[in-house]
Formats: sequence, C-alpha cells, structure tokens
Amino acid sequence: MLAQLVVSGIAQGALYALVALAMTVVYRATTVINFGQGDFVMAGAFAVYVLVVLAGAPFVVSAVLALALLFGIGWAIYAGLIRPIVAGPHLALAMMAVAVGYALRGVARVVWGREVLPFPRVLPQGSFTVGPVILSASDLVVAGGVIVAVAVLGLVFYATPLGKTAQAIFQSERGAALIGINVAAFQGAMWGVAAAMGALGGILIAPITLLYPDLAASILIRGFAAMTLGGFGSFPGAAIGGVMLGVSELLVGAYVSSTLIDITAYLVIIGVLLIRPSGLFGRPIAVRV
Amino acid sequence: MIDAREADAALNRRTARHPSGGIFWLVPAVLLLLPPLLNDYTQYIVNLALVYVLVGVGFNVVIGNLGQLAFANAAFFGLGAYATGILLHHYHAPLLLSIVAGAIVGSLAGALVSLPALRGIRSFYLAIITLAFGELMRWVYVNAEAWTLGSMGLHVPRPALFGWVLSTEKHKFYLFLGIVTLLVAATANLLRSRIGRGFMAIRDNELAAAAMGIPTARYMVLAFAWSGFVVGTGGALYAILVRQVSPDAFTLLELILHFGIVIVGGLTRIAGSILGAVALTMAPELLRDLPGYEELLIACLMILILLFLPGGLVTLFDRVTPLFRQRYHRV
Repeated sequence: MLAQLVVSGIAQGALYALVALAMTVVYRATTVINFGQGDFVMAGAFAVYVLVVLAGAPFVVSAVLALALLFGIGWAIYAGLIRPIVAGPHLALAMMAVAVGYALRGVARVVWGREVLPFPRVLPQGSFTVGPVILSASDLVVAGGVIVAVAVLGLVFYATPLGKTAQAIFQSERGAALIGINVAAFQGAMWGVAAAMGALGGILIAPITLLYPDLAASILIRGFAAMTLGGFGSFPGAAIGGVMLGVSELLVGAYVSSTLIDITAYLVIIGVLLIRPSGLFGRPIAVRV
Repeated sequence: MIDAREADAALNRRTARHPSGGIFWLVPAVLLLLPPLLNDYTQYIVNLALVYVLVGVGFNVVIGNLGQLAFANAAFFGLGAYATGILLHHYHAPLLLSIVAGAIVGSLAGALVSLPALRGIRSFYLAIITLAFGELMRWVYVNAEAWTLGSMGLHVPRPALFGWVLSTEKHKFYLFLGIVTLLVAATANLLRSRIGRGFMAIRDNELAAAAMGIPTARYMVLAFAWSGFVVGTGGALYAILVRQVSPDAFTLLELILHFGIVIVGGLTRIAGSILGAVALTMAPELLRDLPGYEELLIACLMILILLFLPGGLVTLFDRVTPLFRQRYHRV
C-alpha cells in the first residue's frame, strides 16, 4: 500500500515538477514569476486536442506542432507584452501575466464554453507489476520525460555558456546588455521554452484530468507549491519539490483524510514560506534595494 | 525670477482645500436621484457596482498605496460575505450588526494576511502565500458545512432594517449608498492623513520609510486590516444583495475581476477604483450570454491599460477636467 502510494505520487508529482520547472525557467531568465503558466498548460492541451481530435493528425506530429506553437506564443507574449513593461514594478508584471493567462482562458471558453472534454488516450496503455507495486506505462513515460527535462535544463543552465548568460542576466540585465548579451532575444527564447514546457505538461496531464478551460488554476497553485518547497530558482529543487508534493498529497489523502488532498499544496506553500522561505534548495531571499 | 506674489498665489492654490472635496459629496447626492429612473434589473446592477466600489477602494489601499502584492482580496470579500450570511441565515441577527460583523471578520483576515509580510515576505512570495490563503479559505467554505452549508451555499433571508423589510432593490440602494459613501470618505481621509502618507512612503521605499521613523510594521498591519474592513463590508453587502453565498463566487476568477477593477480604473487612485468598479460591473452585463467574452474583455482591458495607460482610465478624465486631478501626491 505505502509503496504503491509513493510510486503513484512520484508519477503525479512529476507533472507538478514539470510546471514548476517551466516557471523556474522564466524566473531564472527574467526574475518574473509567471502567474499565467497554468494557462500555457491548458493552451497546450487544447492545441493537441484540436490537432488530434478535430484535424485527425497523428499524435506525435500534433504534439510537436503544439510545442512549436506554444513556443511561438510564449515568445510573442514576451516580446509584445512583457518586454515593454519589464522595467516597471513587479506589480505590473504580475498583473500582465495574470491578464495574459486570463485572455488565453477566455479564448478557450469562447470556443468550448464550460464543456469538459475527454482527452484521447495517447500514452501507451498497460502496466507492469514489480513486487507489490503496479507501474503503469503512462506513468513511466511521464516520469521519464520529466527526468529528461531536468537533465537537459540542468546541463544547459549549469554546464554551458548559455547558463552563464542566464546567470549574468539574472544578476543584472543592464550589466549583461553592456557586455554584449542580447537580453531581449534570450529572455524571449526562455519564455518560449517555458510555454512549450507548459504545453508538454498539458499533453501529459490532460489524459488524466480531462480537459476544460479552467484546468489552469489548480495546476498553477501546485506548480507554485512545488517551486516554493524546492526553493525559488532552483531546477533540482523544483523537480524534487514537485515529486514530494505529489507523494505527500497521496499519503495525506490515504492516511489522514481525502478532503485534505486539495489543500496539501496550500498548506505546503504557507508552511514553507513562513518557516523557511528559501525552501529546500533555494538561496535566502535577498531584498534588492 | 519668480514674482513673490505669484509664488504666494501658487502656495495658496496648493494648500487650498482639496478640490475633489466638493465633488466628493456631490456624487452620492446626485446618485440619490437615480432610483426613479431605473427598473429592478438596472437597479440591481447599480447596487452591484456599489458593492464593487468597496472591493476596489479597499483593495487599492494594499496594492496601490501600500504597494504590496497581496492576492487575498477575494478571501476578504468571501469571509465578509460568509460572516454576514451566517449571522443572517442561522441566527437571524439584526442587519446592521451582521454587516459590521462581516467588516470585522474581513479586517481580522486582513491583519492575519499581513503577518507573512512582517516576516519579510514580499513581492512575488507574498503574492503566492496570499493566493494559497485565499484558496485555503475556499476549501473552508466547502468543508465547514455546519455553518456554510458546503458547496450548495447559504440562502440569506430578506434583509430588514429595524423591522422595515428591504423588499426591493431600491431600498437596498439607499442603504448601500450610505455605507459606501461613508467608507470611501473614510478611506480618502485615511490616505490623506499622516498614516496614509506613511503607506505610500513604505510603497516607494520601505527602508527609507523606516529610516525616517515610520513604524513600517504597524502601518502594514493597519493598511491590511483597513483594506480587509472595507472589502469585508463589500462582501457583507454582496451577501445582502445576491442573497446567496456559495464558494463558487470567490474563486480565482473573482480575484482577477478585483485586479481588473484596480488596474483598469487606475492604481493608487480612489477615483480610479470607483471608475474601474463601475466600468467592470456594467460592461460584462452586456456580454452575459456569451461565455468567454467577459474574460476576454477584462483581460484585454487590463493588457491595454498596463501597456499604454499605466495610470488607468482615471487619467483620461484628468486630461479633460481638473476636478479629479491629484494635487500634491498620488492619492
């Protein structure tokens, strides 16, 4: 029982980790927390739904197209909406992200209203039994995908010149621009990557949760919880935080009360920020004067 | 060279009574004449706009004047509505007492939410923790069934003021207008006082404010508590107006509407929040039967304002008329 819960929790947590990783990419590149990330997840899932169910394209092609589309959308949002006010107060940036997410949701609702759509089962079916634990093939695919994403991001941000660029921009945009880094292009690309990661999350989540325009809210908060738990700005932190959140949700649900599943994420956020705001792997929060 | 007499005149102009003082009392006086012109439905919309004026004005204190990124406004609103709804539904308490209870509960929630800010949690971190608090409250509404009747929601009985039943929307209007006028006037005075200036000093530079001897911690709790008080009153009036309090009314979507009101109207400005409340209550009514367009309208308005008119709609009026223009400082 316990082993099964932990394994299922890891699989679920991997999805939260993906959302948290995408938000960390944006945070590392632009020091903005994207409050619209949940809506990228929703938009990606809808893009695949349109391509697979309505246009009849093969799944893999649709997934690649959806990722490319969301990359473009992420870039365009950055270039058109975020960049012009990036020097402004945090409040305006947060509001812009909220508004953009709300607009995406509005578009989905104009088309689909309040319908809840079944998402095609695109991941491999079937399951294996390892000792007392049942592993489903789709869980393995999801977990594998997230591990690859963490590895690639870790490699890019810690072991390539691109990572140094990101660090330079994170520390001082003006300084980075002065030494010849194209800050706008880099940040635009990072928004694109984050949106595409959101789309990937959407493709993996939608078969489990069904698809509806308000998908975003619960995912957004769980992404925040994962990010808070792991520490803001840390890639391994976001991944581990997501997995820990997934596991603890299931454990709380099984051993305490199933009504508490929904609020585990909120309690994690409140507890961590009050007791240890830097999370497990983050650096202490410094106030910029 | 500035002529001494000219300088004197300029000084007098500057220290003259705030010009919006006159217009401030004129607006509710004119509104008193409104009900005979309206039918029940339009009167309901006007009442709803009054409720959202409180929401906007209260929210603005924390987000515009204190400059803290707090996402718990929908929670203040919901807690106020539930406090009033529970007192009226379960205990048949007097109307005014129930409204005051809603305000006080909102105010306590405000003080509670300010505590993480005192722990040094700011900016995006404060946003996330307050967002979690708001969602937690929504879980409480659903699960504290003995009081809230769960996800079905509470039915609020027909309100009566000193034995006089408020049977139509017009009756509610006079009550609402009185309460809203009082609270908006009180908030405007608070923001013009030493304390209100302190809020803005904290927004502009917290360290400098503290260095100047402003008790930043105390002022922060005070600003949040006042914001919660005003928004909680808004929630109380909402419960009386709609007569149905259910968890669905206080979701993230409601919170985004609150953001829309303060951003579209004009951050930091009371006139802006009022304008935003009126605009964003009326406009979606025109789009009610088209799902999704309401969201698109609010989102697009917010995006356009943030990009092209950071001061909000109220700055458009400033260009035409000096009546609303800020005289000494952004209030």
